[in-house]
Amino acid sequence: MSAIRLRFWGVRGSVPCPGSNTVKYGGNTACLELRFGEEGRLVVIDAGTGIRELAAHVMKTDLPKGPIKTQLFLTHTHWDHIMGFPFFIPIFIPTTELDVYGPVTFEDDTLDKILFGMLTYRYWPVRLEELASKIKYYNLKEGSRDLGEGLWVTTKYLNHPINVLGYRFEYRGKVLCSAYDTEPFRNVFDVPSDAPGYDAEAFKEGEAAAREENEKVSQFFRGADILVHDSQYTHKEYLAGKVGWGHSSFEYAVNEAHKAEVKRLLLFHHDPDRTDAQLERLERRIRANVEARGSPMQVFIAREGLEVEV
Amino acid sequence: MGRDTILPMIQAYVGKMPPLPVTVSKVLEICNNPKTSPVDLNQVISLDPVLMGKVMRLINSAYYSLPNQITSLVRAIIMLGINTVKNLALSTAVLSNLGKASDFQALNMEGFWRHSIAVGVTAKLIASKRNMDVKLREEYFIAGLLHDIGKIPLNNRMAEEYVQAVSLTDRDHIPLYQSEERLLTVHHATVGKLIVENWHLGENLSDAVTFHHNLADYSGSHRELVLTVAVANLFSNTYELGFSGDRYPENLGAGVMQELGIDWDYLESLENAVKGEIEKAQVFLKVAS
Repeated sequence: MSAIRLRFWGVRGSVPCPGSNTVKYGGNTACLELRFGEEGRLVVIDAGTGIRELAAHVMKTDLPKGPIKTQLFLTHTHWDHIMGFPFFIPIFIPTTELDVYGPVTFEDDTLDKILFGMLTYRYWPVRLEELASKIKYYNLKEGSRDLGEGLWVTTKYLNHPINVLGYRFEYRGKVLCSAYDTEPFRNVFDVPSDAPGYDAEAFKEGEAAAREENEKVSQFFRGADILVHDSQYTHKEYLAGKVGWGHSSFEYAVNEAHKAEVKRLLLFHHDPDRTDAQLERLERRIRANVEARGSPMQVFIAREGLEVEV
Repeated sequence: MGRDTILPMIQAYVGKMPPLPVTVSKVLEICNNPKTSPVDLNQVISLDPVLMGKVMRLINSAYYSLPNQITSLVRAIIMLGINTVKNLALSTAVLSNLGKASDFQALNMEGFWRHSIAVGVTAKLIASKRNMDVKLREEYFIAGLLHDIGKIPLNNRMAEEYVQAVSLTDRDHIPLYQSEERLLTVHHATVGKLIVENWHLGENLSDAVTFHHNLADYSGSHRELVLTVAVANLFSNTYELGFSGDRYPENLGAGVMQELGIDWDYLESLENAVKGEIEKAQVFLKVAS
């Protein structure tokens, strides 16, 4: 029996993108189903549009066994990671107990306030107060937390234009990590020495800060059995105008995962313009490269319905 | 008005404290630019005690697994990301439109700003002279920049009483903190302590803000920093580098300068460098001198 099972219900970044070019990998935005142990304890990461179909699955397989008790971990509160929440049907069932965890912003609003800004009269007919289930909200920062029954989660801030948390779940000696949405930390003070405001000390401090932060992220997913990593762009696309947008390249994700001795890498958060054909080609190319360098790491392009277990 | 009324009022004010009027328009200009330059962002924040305090608060409260307090703005910008810092600065700048401070104020905020920069720059120069690690010098600048932050709520929220306190200083030739205490029951270092503790800025900055007029009672572990800020403050007041209401500052004990290995001749030699830094900042902020 496996310790951790993962199934993808949404793998896209930014915006849902159904259509003939996304049939194979799927057009829904981020949603991951995790199951732990024989009981199949359910934990969900992110409430992108993929959560709608996960909800149907949970209603069919979990509800007949008893009330749904689960945890939802939001990596951050950008639209594509929360827009499916009102379609998670169990929240309308009075017996459901849901704990929602996630990072908040500098504005100090609580998670429920941030999350349900979208559940107001002007945007949607259902209001937060109308959800029948018992929902609790937990603002997360960096740290570790005991989720009971031997399940632990550790969080790490990543690099995105808002606070984003990576999650590291540990259960019976197995590790699953998420590291999205994120891009490499970089020295933003690396400007030409004749540019106005150039500061040699700031440059030096910036170099050290970026290096140390990237090292911390690498340590965070070191040795993971499963790593789900941001790979919205190719390296070429990243350099051509996407630096600072908060997403990584395929090449960066593969290199970092390899260096950190990750066992299985799932490339995730596909650009909405990325076609099935492109993703197929990328998967072949990446696997050939990984094999050529003698790495034992297995690499997959995440797609809706793909299941991985350890 | 007693201490029991004043402190809660100030506590409530801290959350919505705006940046100094001197920096607001530059903050808006930089942060409303979709391609905000991190270099400009760094510069404008480092010229404003309120913005600096808020960024430091965010970085140190968000990352509670960090073993040490972060006192580098460069590092904070890289870790938090330009977008987050920019939006934090913008939302702080917007506060300046709410409840405009009265025109009737004891301290002109431009003079106060010059004084804050002067103490920050002087503290950093003293730290360099004492061969302090480059990484720690930034902490000296921040401590100097923030040392009088407690005067902002007093000046803005208790304007009338504060005018009297500054007048009392001028009339009786006593240090401002003493007239504040006499008339308001609290002085700016106590208020400053409240602010930096509310912002969770760490013991080093809190000690510098709390004890810069009370070295005799200090027995903590940031002695060098506290002493340096006190000396930088005395120097800036004596040489009228900016103005923060303290026309008759108290002399520090004879041993203080000795302990830091500096003397008045050395401090005098800094005057042009400090003025130069203030001038550069004025050009950047387009403040008329």
